[in-house]
Amino acid sequence: MSDIAITTLLILSLFAILGSGVWIGLTLSGVAWIGMQLFSSRAAGDAMAVTIWGSSSSWTLTALPLFVWMGEILFRTKLSESMFKGLAPWVSRLPGGLLHTNVIGCTIFAAVSGSSAATCATIGKMTLPELARRGYPEDITIGSLAGAGTLGLLIPPSIIMIVYGVSADVSIAKLFIAGIFPGLILASLFSGYLIVWALMNKGKIPPPDAPMTFTQKVYESRHLIPVVLLISAVLGSIYAGVATATEAAAIGVVGSLVLSLVQRSLSWTTFKESLLGATRLYCMIALILAGAAFLTLSMGYIGLPRHLAEFVSGMGLSPFLLIVALSLFYIILGCFLDGISMVVLTMGVILPTVQTAGLDLIWFGIFIVIVVEMAQITPPVGFNLFVLQGMTKKEITYIARVTLPFFFLMCGMVLLLWFFPQIATWLPSKM
Amino acid sequence: QTKWDLPAAYPASNFHTENLTQFAADVDKATGGKLKITVHANASLFKANEIKRAVQGGQAQIGEVLLVNFENENPIYGADGLPFVASSYPAARKLADAQKPALDKILGAQGMKVLYTVAWPPQGIYVNKEITAVADMKGLKWRAYSPATSKIAELVGAQPVTVQAAELSQAMATGVVNSYMSSGSTGYDTKTYESIKYWYDVQAWLPKNAIIVNKKSFDALDAATQAAVVKAAADAEVRGWKVSEEKNEFYKKALAEKGMKIMTPSAKLVADLRQVGVIMKADWIKRAGADGEAVLSAYEKSSTAKK
Amino acid sequence: MRKLLDGLYDGAAWLGAIFMVGTLVSVLAGVLDRQFAWSLRGTDMYAGYCMAACGFLALAHTLKKGEHIRVTLILNAVKGPTKRAIEIWALAAASLLSMLFAYYSVKLSINSWQFNDVSTGNDATPLWIPQITMGVGAVVLMIAFIDELVLEIMGRRVQVDSDEALHHE
Ligand code: NA
Ligand code: NA
Repeated sequence: MSDIAITTLLILSLFAILGSGVWIGLTLSGVAWIGMQLFSSRAAGDAMAVTIWGSSSSWTLTALPLFVWMGEILFRTKLSESMFKGLAPWVSRLPGGLLHTNVIGCTIFAAVSGSSAATCATIGKMTLPELARRGYPEDITIGSLAGAGTLGLLIPPSIIMIVYGVSADVSIAKLFIAGIFPGLILASLFSGYLIVWALMNKGKIPPPDAPMTFTQKVYESRHLIPVVLLISAVLGSIYAGVATATEAAAIGVVGSLVLSLVQRSLSWTTFKESLLGATRLYCMIALILAGAAFLTLSMGYIGLPRHLAEFVSGMGLSPFLLIVALSLFYIILGCFLDGISMVVLTMGVILPTVQTAGLDLIWFGIFIVIVVEMAQITPPVGFNLFVLQGMTKKEITYIARVTLPFFFLMCGMVLLLWFFPQIATWLPSKM
Repeated sequence: QTKWDLPAAYPASNFHTENLTQFAADVDKATGGKLKITVHANASLFKANEIKRAVQGGQAQIGEVLLVNFENENPIYGADGLPFVASSYPAARKLADAQKPALDKILGAQGMKVLYTVAWPPQGIYVNKEITAVADMKGLKWRAYSPATSKIAELVGAQPVTVQAAELSQAMATGVVNSYMSSGSTGYDTKTYESIKYWYDVQAWLPKNAIIVNKKSFDALDAATQAAVVKAAADAEVRGWKVSEEKNEFYKKALAEKGMKIMTPSAKLVADLRQVGVIMKADWIKRAGADGEAVLSAYEKSSTAKK
Repeated sequence: MRKLLDGLYDGAAWLGAIFMVGTLVSVLAGVLDRQFAWSLRGTDMYAGYCMAACGFLALAHTLKKGEHIRVTLILNAVKGPTKRAIEIWALAAASLLSMLFAYYSVKLSINSWQFNDVSTGNDATPLWIPQITMGVGAVVLMIAFIDELVLEIMGRRVQVDSDEALHHE
């Protein structure tokens, strides 16, 4: 059977099974099973179990459940309320008002966490209820959170940069540094969009608070002290060499527990609730991760991503057209696979082509991170969408739709990166 | 036509992987396309520690493993991870030959066999300060990724630290780790030179990658194809060992160019480290039993025979 | 029977929650070990096992609480017998898939025991032991899906909309 026929059949079965309401994690497993049984000469069952165990017990993933738990603890403290009190005087007069807390929160938290789903879950746990309570429209709230959550990958530390750095044989430290400017620029693009959106949709945003003098603003900022302390503890533990980026999540949990103890919001009941809440939210993600790991294995056996990558590599394109083709390739792939799998399955084929085209590998790494960020918010398989569906109980199609503008902003970011490569390459060249 | 999947843990640009790709191409050519081996590099199919099991269970017909990784299961796998037993390429070659019957025995009992092995370049010590004796290593934060490397840390008085490979660069930059033992190639690949400035070329051991095959899958091939695989494997082994030795020189030069000081260890340091080697060897023989003793005595016999 | 099943789901979930604490403790132990040189071994691996146990053991409870996500676009658009038919199909497909998952998860642990598959890390744990949690979690999930399927066919299934949604009022 030709690759095109296999692809069509697998995509059709994916949509059919998903559409009929089968749980997402199981759907991915089902499609992987069908693909492996029909189109590879290997039996699916045992390979599935080995892979699911391997990915579910992998140490690099431990930051995710811990950050999810941290979010659940913070959600039960006064931290989000005080964070809003502290930020409000600064952003509330900006068009878009407190919506910017999504972007600012994710940008700051991205410096702590290397994963996009964790960033989305932790910040969302704090901002979603607060913004809803203050009357901000749900669509732009969810969209900006899903979009900004992906910054977790671009702003260091970042799991995907480590994976790329190892595959492409480039310095992970330089990649981390290279991600800083693009991350901040992308965050500004998100905020800029929120401003434009707010100007075009006057009346949908609750009116700003009364104007304050600068001193008043600074005084109000005292409410930010707990957040700043917590973030400093986590970041500090990384840069002081006490903890690695993954272990920092544990520092985050302990910090949040201490904070809620100090604020007197920690009781046996809230502890229990936070623990069970985190267990369930992580468990939901874990089932999907398991399905995604199996789907990746199945794709590895069938060889579809590799064939596609070989096809793109074989087209003999100019550098610009190559990047356009690769963007399309990864956007399509990203609809169905998670980011790390995309990189691992295709780098062996893509990298030689990229090198032949004379593209800088650090620059290309940042490009890859941005397309992987897009994959987090494209349906049907997009982890930020899943996290937000779990937290808001909205339909995934709705979440994908309200996030679409942020997807286009990321496409714009790729163009920006193409025309101004220094955004990514200047800072590492100074190292 | 038969199709085999070959999971491998290292990136496509690694010399082991390049050798594997060549091996697959050779088999393809020699069998006239009757046996197609797809190399899945970069742990894209199975992760390093899952590959042996995948071959054993038949999820992959053939795979590449780092033997010392499996010493927890059986000490025999760790024979080439013993410090200062075989410290040069010729010695490592002899140890490989001495280890082969024992490997065939334990892998054979699990339904697998070794096609060929290729050594990694010799292991040295990456450290953030000058050391002239083992006493200088006291209190170092030493990356220990296996029971053997933890044991070395203990014996030299360093503090064994657990850090995953993925986080090694960052851990070195922030000082979580300030020393570890590995080959010049690992130091180059992980950009160790960005944070650690000394590499002591102590040539402690040369760990090997082994290409293992599922016996059922191998026996299912016709005789001509089997012969072609064996021949291609023999070629790959010769090629791999040669490239490894060349790469060793290349990596040392490359490290030096990146600002790493390549140090020849002092006589005292060597003598101290050999003491560590003696203790570990005795300990290993206790665990590996008669099979282990057989491996070492075969190795010692072959190394004295030549002199 | 009902009580027994619900107890099974909740009990497994509590065990999973304890393993979440275990993940935290293991990671913290690794951090502290570096400061105080307790010479602990394999904390990283234990953190991984605890995380896996947490994720697998709570699967059924999470399902019963309605927190496993699915696409309900079509389900919400239809009513009556069509809706029921689709629900039964989805539950049947999920039951089948969870049966496969359960069967091979249990087999994984048994195979690891037969293969003498040992962790390659500092912990040297025989892998069949932590893999039991995957087998148990998958079997409990399978029971939960069949339970739901039977309830749906008998017309007694109540879909819980989790209290989580209330948090976002
Ligand atoms: Na980050
Ligand atoms: Na996607």
